[in-house]
Amino acid sequence: MSTYAARLPGGGSPSRQWSRGLVISVTALVVLAPLLLILYQSLLDAPFFDPAASAGVGAYRFIFDDPDFWSAAKNSCFIAVGMAVIAVPLGAALAFLMVRTDLPGQRWLEPMLLIPVFVSPMVLSFGYVVAAGPVGFYSVWFGDLFGGVPWNVYSLTSIAAIAGLTHVPHVYLYASAALKNLGSDVEEAARMSGASALRVALDVSLPMVMPALLYSAVLVFFLGFEIFGLALVLGDPEGHLVLATYLYKLTNKLGTPSYHLMAAVAVCIIAVTVPLVMLQRHLMKNAAKYVSVKGKAGRQRPLPLGAWRWLAAALIAGWLFLTVVVPLSGIALRSVVNYWGEGVVLADVLTLDHFRTVFGQPTLMRGIWNTVLIGVIGGGLAVACYTAIAFATHRQPDGWSRFVDYLVLVPRAVPGLLAGLAFLWVFLFIPFLSPLRSTIFAVWLAYTVVWLAYGLRLVSSSLLQVGAELEEAARSAGASRARASRDVTLPLIRHGLLASWLLVFMIFEREYSTAVYLLNPGTEVIGSLLVSLWATGGADMVAALSVINVVLVGIGLGVALRFGVKLHD
Amino acid sequence: MKSMRLALALCASASLSVAHAQAPADYPADYAAVIAAARQEGKVRIYAATDTAAASPLIKDFEALYPGVKVEYSDMNTTELYNRVISEKAAGGTSGDVFWSSSMDLQIKLVNDGFALTYKSPEVAKLPEWAVWRNEGYGTTYEPIVFIYNKRLLKPEEVPQSHAELAKMLAANPERFKGKLTSYDIEKSGVGFLLITQDAKLNPAFWDLAKAIGAASPRFQSSSGTMMERIGSGENLLGFNIIGSYALLRAKKDPGIGIVMPKDYTLVMSRIMFIAKTAQNSNAAKLWLDYILSKRGQTIIANQSELGSIRADVEGDLTAHGLAKALGSALKPIQVGPGLLTYLDQAKRLEFIKQWQQTAALRK
Repeated sequence: MSTYAARLPGGGSPSRQWSRGLVISVTALVVLAPLLLILYQSLLDAPFFDPAASAGVGAYRFIFDDPDFWSAAKNSCFIAVGMAVIAVPLGAALAFLMVRTDLPGQRWLEPMLLIPVFVSPMVLSFGYVVAAGPVGFYSVWFGDLFGGVPWNVYSLTSIAAIAGLTHVPHVYLYASAALKNLGSDVEEAARMSGASALRVALDVSLPMVMPALLYSAVLVFFLGFEIFGLALVLGDPEGHLVLATYLYKLTNKLGTPSYHLMAAVAVCIIAVTVPLVMLQRHLMKNAAKYVSVKGKAGRQRPLPLGAWRWLAAALIAGWLFLTVVVPLSGIALRSVVNYWGEGVVLADVLTLDHFRTVFGQPTLMRGIWNTVLIGVIGGGLAVACYTAIAFATHRQPDGWSRFVDYLVLVPRAVPGLLAGLAFLWVFLFIPFLSPLRSTIFAVWLAYTVVWLAYGLRLVSSSLLQVGAELEEAARSAGASRARASRDVTLPLIRHGLLASWLLVFMIFEREYSTAVYLLNPGTEVIGSLLVSLWATGGADMVAALSVINVVLVGIGLGVALRFGVKLHD
Repeated sequence: MKSMRLALALCASASLSVAHAQAPADYPADYAAVIAAARQEGKVRIYAATDTAAASPLIKDFEALYPGVKVEYSDMNTTELYNRVISEKAAGGTSGDVFWSSSMDLQIKLVNDGFALTYKSPEVAKLPEWAVWRNEGYGTTYEPIVFIYNKRLLKPEEVPQSHAELAKMLAANPERFKGKLTSYDIEKSGVGFLLITQDAKLNPAFWDLAKAIGAASPRFQSSSGTMMERIGSGENLLGFNIIGSYALLRAKKDPGIGIVMPKDYTLVMSRIMFIAKTAQNSNAAKLWLDYILSKRGQTIIANQSELGSIRADVEGDLTAHGLAKALGSALKPIQVGPGLLTYLDQAKRLEFIKQWQQTAALRK
């Protein structure tokens, strides 16, 4: 039974209320300013800064009359559903196997599982084309062996499958974070009463991580509506549009960028996600009943899998092969050859020139440096912000917390491309911000807001599992609310926070679309450089930079693991 | 002692650079004032939709020619460039001094909408008439629009040499080219749209060609990089309306890529450059524009940037001069002027897209 701390005597000291108010208003401002700009833009018939712009619903009429919009909406739904159906069960199973069982090789497996999160979808899809496209080297090899290739990477099903498989880590991270904070005593009890490993997983562990799974299911579904790079590279040639590529197409369809149409599509996407948030709220109402870190320490003991362990290991290896080895070997190979394809002997065309070119260009080098900076320092700052927001709403179930809950989910639903554009406008038209536009701060702010839902859920997932009675104990011993948060809650979630930092670091490393419109001398990051180089035909450079990106993240992760930021205890 | 030597060295290099920065001989007498003012400004900010790799020899040479004037070069795509220019002007903050883009229609729209500074370059007499509009927008490059194909997979006799042959071949072997033909998706690429409407204007049998293209289930892409990558790998066999400068650069690295300049007509695209009306560094911007149009700049454009020289007095394969020898009157440069604005009219544009989709695109 949890009592709400807010109702305890002295629950809201004035300074505490003041800082809470500040955190909530700043969050509201940075989330709502770009959003309102998008809404406002969607109701005009020209760019909002054009003196000739007039109000109307013409933009909506245009897109609703366009059959492409409906086909894109249908495809987006298909992909979002497909992703959730694939990623949630796989991610949950993976988390259970990794955290709760004696699966062989967990130590070295854990960092591998996260690789799909590191790589920008642009790069992954490019990797798939090189590796598994009609003349990709895995396809050619497979065709030689079996006389044909049964897959088509350009089909809608493939896009949904790839998107689903590459989003398994997102679910895994949420589910395993929840599982790690869970004592295994209940599971052991079930086990001792004679339940099988599967039975324990389904009937005991699954219900305990349900909140984390529901969160991640909704988020994966959101991400499904935002899929851009994959659909752009793989869906384009056969004409499969999704909402984000439809939006991108509107940039050029009328010759000049049609912001009002793009904004109208973005508003439609947000309109889809709002009911989802409501649904999630409904499902989460009784979150308190899942509280499981109690005042009593719960030891975790791995569940013996027996003979099943080899099957489990084989399944994980198969998934890793499909989502990591295939695309990354493709991109790595592409980065060291001059050209490739049917009838090319790869040994003849090996080269390191692409890397030499990258290292010789100051812009690209600055991009690499900025990417490191925004991941390490920016990621840490972002997690600090997320933690502040999480504490502002933690166990204070009032109107403001509900407001923040809805608020933070919205920016993620806006396609990164357009969110970046909205931030460009914000930085352009708000006078005191404009000097910051060509600094990396602009990119950092955009990234932090775009990934708000993501980081916050991770932080608050950990927070939610700290029993209220621990804080209450501190409070009854005379500690102030702030002191209880600082000395009790914060230390308890430190692993969660470090894992969040790592996750945010990886996400910031791979983000690509948000920074496109903010690209300036000084604000280059690898993600936006990739898009820019891809558009101008620099496939060589794209491959080399992608490899550098993956290596950077690999080094970062290695350092983190070395210094004890363990992803599981 | 050390600092003294350093100071001496600095003085020496300063006087050296002054010697460098003389106005070219045939420029007006007051040009030295422009150079001096540009020195004061110290830099020129360029927004360009041209690869940094292609521009860096120009930047290096320019900075060597005019020491003290630094080039801040921002490489972005054509849509971003347009978007950046109009929104920055509306916001009234800092913006670029020079805009340089291959999206000829958007550049002309900007010029037409009053974004350009009127400035008669001393080089204007050396440029073809079609390349200059109102002494504001200047064509700076000479880039033929070509077919490319996979040399390993397409036999020499299968390679079409003209638009007419392309139509004939596609009609004769629809199976051979099924799913193997590539070009721009005109809805996603402004350049692709511009090129196809130029085709429609120049080629009397255009819609027959479109029909033949449609029968081959073409794979349309939004960027030339993707098209070249897929032709190079053999996933696609043949591409049309490819920007020749990119193709030549690629063919140098990938011997599997072949290039054809169509014999019946070869479109020629030219990157348009103009100085911003609100340029903060307008003198440095003038130096840059004049340098790009000068014989010195154009020689680098032709030989190092591989973008093709527009000047008749620059020799080489990839110059207006060299191409004229090979193709003669088949060369059809796209006029830098208000004609480019036709299809920025929404109704006309959508009408054309619809007709093209119904005839040639995979999605009907």
